[in-house]
Amino acid sequence: MNWRNETVFVTGATGFIGGRVCERMVQAGVKVRALVHGMHRAARIARLPVELCPGDLLERESLREALGGAKVVIHCGVGPASSIVRGTENMLAVAHAAGVNRFIHVSTAAIYGITPPPGSESEDAPLRRTGDAYCDNKAAAEKVVLNYGKRGLPVVILRPSIVWGPYSAWSTRLMDDLREGRVAFIEGGPGACNTTYVDNLIDAMVLGLENDGALNQAFFITDGERVSWGDFIRAHMALMEPMPEVVEISRAEIAASRGKSSGLLLGSVKAAARVARSKEFRQMLLQIPLTEAAMKKAWNWVGGMPPEKRERLRARFGVRRAAAKPANAKFIPDAVTEATQSATVFFSIEKARKVLGYEPRVRFSEGMKLVEQWLRYAAYL
Amino acid sequence: MTEPIRLAILGCGAITRSEHIPAVSTHPGVQLAALVDTDLPRANALIRNRGLNCRAVADYREVLGEVDAVVNALPNHLHLSSNMDCLRAGRHVLCEKPLAITAAEARSCTEFAEEKKLVLAVGMNRRFAASHPLLKLVIEEGLLGSIQNYDFQYGGAFDWRSASGFYFDRAKAGGGALLDFGVHMLDSVIDWFGPVSAFDYQDDDWGSGIEANVFLDLKHAGRFGEITGHLQISRTFGLKNRLLVRGVAASAEITVRDPEVVVIHRVIGGVPVSQTLTLQLEKFSGGSPYWRQLDNFVQSIANRGKPEVDGWQAVRVLELVESCYAHKRRIAEPWAGSGAESETSSGSGHSETRT
Repeated sequence: MNWRNETVFVTGATGFIGGRVCERMVQAGVKVRALVHGMHRAARIARLPVELCPGDLLERESLREALGGAKVVIHCGVGPASSIVRGTENMLAVAHAAGVNRFIHVSTAAIYGITPPPGSESEDAPLRRTGDAYCDNKAAAEKVVLNYGKRGLPVVILRPSIVWGPYSAWSTRLMDDLREGRVAFIEGGPGACNTTYVDNLIDAMVLGLENDGALNQAFFITDGERVSWGDFIRAHMALMEPMPEVVEISRAEIAASRGKSSGLLLGSVKAAARVARSKEFRQMLLQIPLTEAAMKKAWNWVGGMPPEKRERLRARFGVRRAAAKPANAKFIPDAVTEATQSATVFFSIEKARKVLGYEPRVRFSEGMKLVEQWLRYAAYL
Repeated sequence: MTEPIRLAILGCGAITRSEHIPAVSTHPGVQLAALVDTDLPRANALIRNRGLNCRAVADYREVLGEVDAVVNALPNHLHLSSNMDCLRAGRHVLCEKPLAITAAEARSCTEFAEEKKLVLAVGMNRRFAASHPLLKLVIEEGLLGSIQNYDFQYGGAFDWRSASGFYFDRAKAGGGALLDFGVHMLDSVIDWFGPVSAFDYQDDDWGSGIEANVFLDLKHAGRFGEITGHLQISRTFGLKNRLLVRGVAASAEITVRDPEVVVIHRVIGGVPVSQTLTLQLEKFSGGSPYWRQLDNFVQSIANRGKPEVDGWQAVRVLELVESCYAHKRRIAEPWAGSGAESETSSGSGHSETRT
């Protein structure tokens, strides 16, 4: 289909991926309608000639109005884990009713869990419940997408992994953590990082718009390189002057340390309240209307957010502040970081290559150069 | 003692809730008569929640007959018409910045206020933080020696919960980061260093007119000679959030975190030292900058005097903002230009300094 003549509707447009989608669509000369849930979060996309359309994935009527006459939907929106399925279903229903002729669903490789089991390298690997709200709800959302595909909505599902690039918290948080000694190489850092440079992901979206052979199918999308967490961390360390020191830690050490503490510190109500109230927290998430009444809701939301966000929260508010570690004590990563960086599976992009014609255009080293330029611009360096 | 000034606040959005109501309700020279908002339930809820003794109305024209003055905190694009209505009715106006979305509008409003002999004050609250007059003293008394340059940065992830969301609508906001926040910075640097003689402006507007990032190099030709400055604003990431003025003998620093003090940095006997200056003046001893701004407005009305920031000062800043927009170059974003379907480069144009 010739999507360049269509208006593209982007959900999650105020986020990192959706924001870049808007930029790329504008560069392509395509008309964009951007779904905006919190107008105050729209600074990045407000500078683009895109239509900012107020709406909420959880309010179907608002989506109908926001969609307008757009015939292409790129669904990057997530929201609280407990609402992922409902929000996606609302968007699908509205798109279907409006006769949308392409729906790109941004799923995640994390549907296989934070530490995907061996054997989940290809898209036909069976899904099982992971016990993580974000992972399981994203998996459930895929099923709903496929159901709409069967009913005639032309859908394509993309499963990126660690989506990185300018504006990504994977880089900004890592820089902050490196600066404050909150990073460790777990077992030396061989864990599979599965980097997916944001522009590579958007290339795959464009291919999904153009390629009818991709309909009703799901594709892993990564940079196609075997980048480890050690590589990812070291590439960021190398940008810093002076280069920070990062300790190595074994899983046994982490387990021993965790035995001593009461597990994840954010479990306590008190800690939750402290975190939810803090300004830093709000700035990081930029998502929670903070009234006393909303606090509990906010906290439930934390429980359902993507693992990397939770991980950042824990790194920032849990371990660092409450651990009261003695001077010179080794930094101990929290459970989610450990799980994330213990992955062994490198997802295969062979199917994306064959069916979509996908080829990662931005190599890891080039992506790092662009990230470095952006980090300098954004005053992280 | 004179009668308190009867006042209405126009607009019950974020700034009214966080600053104007606390200021108005604690100032002895002011009696709040009405809150005005087209969303009447919002105004009523505010009155209830803050325990205010005033009425709520949806249209400011209903209350102009019963007040002496207004604080105008409506969205930017409504400033001109509402200010004119208030002035026409003989009411003094303290208007939130920007006074209008164009310099021409600001000028007509200012001229009209002069003609009517009414006070038109502009909400440049930073002038009422103690650091503003303090730095002025520091410069004038030569504490820094000959001034070389300054660096002024303000940035953070935008998180202003505007009730109407008008910020990202060009027709209502009139511009982006420069018009919204830059006017504070420009007003301050012009007041400290003198009129701007040349500038070089870049922003990251891709065509909406709502820039999120601004780089602005300025040259001032004031009574302290030629001073160059660099100003940076961001709505997308954190910056140093401070002003640093470098002189031959010492530097002066004002941070966003503590705008009540000026920190002087110098080297004594080869050792870097810092000294924190505070202003020992009664009128800066208490209250928020918004309270002091209101107080200045009240005094101006009582004395028929000029407010600290009048319409002409706002016109001067808006003229500069308009010149910047008219001669803008796009900030180079090399990381953003890699799209395969990209047809135009996002790089910047030629470099040129405007005078």
